[in-house]
Amino acid sequence: MKKRKLNQVKSTVSEMFELPKEITLNLPKISMIGNIQMLVENHKGIIEYTPQRIRLNSTIGVIRVQGANMNLKNIAVDDIMVTGEIKTVEFL
Amino acid sequence: MLFLRLWNYLLGYLVIRVEGLSLERFINLTISKGIYMWDIDRYSYTAMTACINIYGFKRLKKIVRTTRCSVRILDKRGLPFVLNRFKHRKMLVIGLTVFLIIIYGLSSFIWIVEIEGAVKVSETELLQVLAKHGIMPGAYKRGLDTSTIANKVIIDMPGLWWVSIQIKGTKALVRVVETTNPPPMLDRSIPCNIVAAKDGIISEMVVLEGEPVVEVGETVRKGQLLVSGVIEDQETHAVRYVHAMAQVNARTWYEGNGTWKFNKAVTKRTGKKIEHKFLDLGKWVVELQKKEIPFKKYEVEEKRIPFIDQRGSIPIALIVREYYEVEELKSNTKLQDAKTKAYDMAYRSASKKVPENAKVVDKKVKYDIIENIEVKATVYLEAIEDIAVQQTIYN
Repeated sequence: MKKRKLNQVKSTVSEMFELPKEITLNLPKISMIGNIQMLVENHKGIIEYTPQRIRLNSTIGVIRVQGANMNLKNIAVDDIMVTGEIKTVEFL
Repeated sequence: MLFLRLWNYLLGYLVIRVEGLSLERFINLTISKGIYMWDIDRYSYTAMTACINIYGFKRLKKIVRTTRCSVRILDKRGLPFVLNRFKHRKMLVIGLTVFLIIIYGLSSFIWIVEIEGAVKVSETELLQVLAKHGIMPGAYKRGLDTSTIANKVIIDMPGLWWVSIQIKGTKALVRVVETTNPPPMLDRSIPCNIVAAKDGIISEMVVLEGEPVVEVGETVRKGQLLVSGVIEDQETHAVRYVHAMAQVNARTWYEGNGTWKFNKAVTKRTGKKIEHKFLDLGKWVVELQKKEIPFKKYEVEEKRIPFIDQRGSIPIALIVREYYEVEELKSNTKLQDAKTKAYDMAYRSASKKVPENAKVVDKKVKYDIIENIEVKATVYLEAIEDIAVQQTIYN
């Protein structure tokens, strides 16, 4: 209850000052180019990686990406770039 | 991204294959240790390929042990590995460095001296003066103070007003501006007459000083007095001597002849030609291509194409001999053709006689034809020119 309230305050403050929410609220930022490339910033590690399915850990739970012939183009401490044919992105 | 790729290429990277059961854990551990990996491709459940830089690969050992994976190097890419290959080819490296040194060495000399703007001043003289001050083919170009050399050249060559020396690569570009002579001073204290330089009919007279003796339309002979410098006052009969000045334009005629003989043999090129190339190495002449001339009758033109330098400081030249096949034409030229040919010759010889400052205003042609033997053409050119010449009066 308390945490939700805090988040709400953070959200309004960041909206007020136009601050990036992925930093103030500590959320993953996902940017996609069509369905061929996807960049996930602020992730918390890989749970599963196969060419058909990738599961990533994040602050709001697991992000499941399904597709075909998927590669991890780039891996750094807090961003992952997935290339290939992406079909679904789910938040579990 | 491109920069990162380039950086990785320069440092060198490895393509590795990782086999094991917990590959996700392997990836997570490398990330948390700050080891950078890219182009990860999992091609089966237990195996994947990835790219990793050399430094990261060295730190992988611990992770491999904890995750119980096996890592194998598939390929080594990047500049360090390419350079490593050269270690076994020492001569190649030596050759490369020698080549670079030679290129650098040769490019630090002047090989060509080019002169722009020299018309009256002889180029050879200018080149000699330049060589004296250190600008010549083969001179070391570093440490040359071009502006002081340019000043010295101006001092040594009185015919030049301005000299600029620019060194562009292995070429020294010397640009000069020549002095123009000041107009001759008129010494107006010397009394003189104006006489005709040529025969002609006066068409226009502008007298600045003196008394005209002839009129427009009059025919004058060479040497005839045109404007007198002796002026006699009509009332006092006192004689005054002046420096006569005038422009006297007159019509003059020039004649040229040309004959065309019918029985002259005429040759004509058929259009076939053969090039025979030689290489002139100063002492020796090397034949580049062996060729036999298949023509019965031919004309030869020889051309010299110098190697690099026009002035031939390097004594290598290509000699190209061009053999043109010719055929003799029967002398069945028509009268009209003969006339035009005779006319051409006559016109050329007449126009050669016309001085530069004269303006041709009219031409006349006369033909003397001896049937089937020759055509003789005479061309008269009428020109307008200044025939005034000053002649000093001695008394």
